[in-house]
Amino acid sequence: MAVVMQSKWSLQRYIISLVVGLATLCIMAWLIMTFVNYPEVKDLSLHTFSTLSRILITLLISVIWGVSFGILAATNKWASFILTPFIDILQSIPILGYFPMVISFLFLLGPWGVEISVIILLFTSMAWSIFFGVVGAIRGIPTNLAESARSFGLTGWRYIRHVTLPAITPALISGANLAWCDGWFFMIAAEYIQYKGEIVTPPSGGLGFLLAKTAYEYKDMNVAIILLLFITFIVTYFNTLTWHRIMEKSNSGTFKPTFKMDLSGVGKLGIRAASWRHYWRFQWPKAFSATSQRLRKYTCIEKLIAAVLVFTMVFFTLYKVLGQIPTLTEILRGFSEPPGGELRFLPLFITLTIGRLTIAYGISLAMAIGMGVLAAEHRRFATVFYLLYDIGQGVPILALFPVIFLGITQLVGEPRIALEFTCIIMLVLDMIWYMFLNIVSAIRSIPSEIQEVSRLFGFKGLNRITHIVIPSILPSIVTGSILSWGTGWNTIIFAEYLPSTSLSVPGLGSLLDKAGYEYGNTVVLIFLLIIIAAIVLSMEAFVWRRLLRKFERYHIEV
Amino acid sequence: MSIIEVRNVTKSFLIGDNKVVVLEDVSFSVGNDEFVCLVGPSGCGKSTLLRIIAGLEKADSGGTLFHGQPITKPTPKIAMVFQLFGLLPWKTALENVELPLEVLGVEKEKRRHVAEEYLNMVGLEGFKNTYPHDLSGGMKQRVGIARALALKPEVLLMDEPFSSLDELTAKNLRNLVLDIWRDPTLPTNTFIMVSHNVEEAVYMADRVIVMTPRPGKVIGEVKIDIPRPRTKYIRDQRYFGLVDEVVALLEKGKV
Repeated sequence: MAVVMQSKWSLQRYIISLVVGLATLCIMAWLIMTFVNYPEVKDLSLHTFSTLSRILITLLISVIWGVSFGILAATNKWASFILTPFIDILQSIPILGYFPMVISFLFLLGPWGVEISVIILLFTSMAWSIFFGVVGAIRGIPTNLAESARSFGLTGWRYIRHVTLPAITPALISGANLAWCDGWFFMIAAEYIQYKGEIVTPPSGGLGFLLAKTAYEYKDMNVAIILLLFITFIVTYFNTLTWHRIMEKSNSGTFKPTFKMDLSGVGKLGIRAASWRHYWRFQWPKAFSATSQRLRKYTCIEKLIAAVLVFTMVFFTLYKVLGQIPTLTEILRGFSEPPGGELRFLPLFITLTIGRLTIAYGISLAMAIGMGVLAAEHRRFATVFYLLYDIGQGVPILALFPVIFLGITQLVGEPRIALEFTCIIMLVLDMIWYMFLNIVSAIRSIPSEIQEVSRLFGFKGLNRITHIVIPSILPSIVTGSILSWGTGWNTIIFAEYLPSTSLSVPGLGSLLDKAGYEYGNTVVLIFLLIIIAAIVLSMEAFVWRRLLRKFERYHIEV
Repeated sequence: MSIIEVRNVTKSFLIGDNKVVVLEDVSFSVGNDEFVCLVGPSGCGKSTLLRIIAGLEKADSGGTLFHGQPITKPTPKIAMVFQLFGLLPWKTALENVELPLEVLGVEKEKRRHVAEEYLNMVGLEGFKNTYPHDLSGGMKQRVGIARALALKPEVLLMDEPFSSLDELTAKNLRNLVLDIWRDPTLPTNTFIMVSHNVEEAVYMADRVIVMTPRPGKVIGEVKIDIPRPRTKYIRDQRYFGLVDEVVALLEKGKV
């Protein structure tokens, strides 16, 4: 009875906060529309609507695709054999690298083509976490459960309905939440595209377009920050409110044990309490555990063969579609056209780009470990960091790019140096959350017996950190590192190059941008993508997978 | 003379928004050289009680005394063996035993020597450099026991130490624990064990304290006066009589 009352009450609360949030949003929009005088900003409500519907449509497509293909890949041997490595490799190519290829093909179709291409671009950034979440969740169904279901004659559709779907729901929802955040993240890149010297934007506009316009063209930092706050409010608000609520609800029927927590002081309701509960009870997106599963599955050679196969396939499909299979002379011509000349500096560019990534990774790692340990040792810090995480995850970091750049230019003066700093800050802002999320989830999942052992035998301070905390998070640091580097490669393509001004710092990313956006040189573009994918995959094979295997025994059996 | 004294301990947890009382006014004492078993149905708070004695949890009211002094935090004089072993997976068997000694500030040579000695005692000569990952359940628990004993505690607490082992392994380990308890050369003489296996309790303990389900209260205790070693008495009428007595108390607690 008390439980029913409580849920009714919390529903009421939810509706109230929803109404209040929407009202705040409307007031914010009205204020911005009234007091900002740019013509595009006057249509703020329209832009908001089109971005929101774009992301929701893409989310729907991603969910349908992720569930159907995820179930297929997890249950059918042949589908898994073909699909998983394919998706694996597609995912390891920086998503933003697909941009020019997709664009050049779809722009021929006119305004609808542009709208569709934006959705496809968003899809390429949103679909993976759902797919891998679903695959991981299905593989995680305990054998005894699957066997007992089969023994009672549940097969085919009924098995999917009663076993598979309930089992994947939590992963699906957390994957969809990640996708929602990713969508906002890439929105600004997808709604404001520079192609062969022209700016292409979707006819129905969007918040990303609006932000890019004010930042790049009007160079109005104040309005850009206001718009950014507006976007962040939308993302964070729905994150803390709706997603957490859905996630909490879906979490009741999962197989993973919920971890022991100190419940005193969590009685309060509201957003903070909701997010608190969310972080201590919610099982972390399964995509993370899926990453380690994936990595263990293939040997280097298998991956290499798959990589070669997929690239040949992609290459030929694209040229088949465009009706031009390249001859050797065409390829050679591609390399001789700009920016092919810059390929001489390729080793330097690779070194510079990897250098930037390494610096950003080092900073993220140090900060994430520090924050993670603090969050694990002191509740107070944990609350603050989770709130920070919520907001940090909600801010579309690409949208921060022009804002940070404008700010640092004012500080430093020299735009090139400012861009260099901005690039690293962007990378850190992007990479740190995956590290932090993984580290905190690992600290949180240290079994209570280990915690008790550490207290019982008097581990304190440094002793506790070196003997208990750090070893127990090492495997997660590896997984977090893989994800960080992945997202870092993704971001660097945009972070080395400032759209609309052609200002860039030398590196792989900026060269790729020049090839793709300025010159539309597909040969150089594909060449660079192959190089990036080769670097990503060899790092996986030679660094991360070795480390994962080494730390396998650190896994705590419960 | 009593070493451990539990006085009017009450403890409750918040589950969701509901307050659940797990222990209510629990009192008993354990004397020097005594082997006491706490028996009760799952969820009667016996593991919580053990953690309060270990200083890992705090009672809401009432308290526990060790040599007449209140227990407020864990002390090396009271060691604990866990149901799921609680070994650090990133340390070898030897390092796992050594670590608490390191925390106490024992120097390297000495603690290695002590750790080896105790690992030998529990029969793990050849497995010093093996990681928990590669040890069987019974071996892991042996490491757990060696780690607790290496601290030379006065009191050993055991939280269902055999319940995640198969019966044959459990039988061997029970006898190992009894041998350790009776060994006059070891300083650890007072054992408190939580169990839900009545026969195990009657086989091992001097005294079985029976608890009721939630909220956990002491409903009675049974003195086990079968001579030791008890191996030859386990087919005895007296043994079954005592088992029945404990079971009867458990049944009584249900209503």
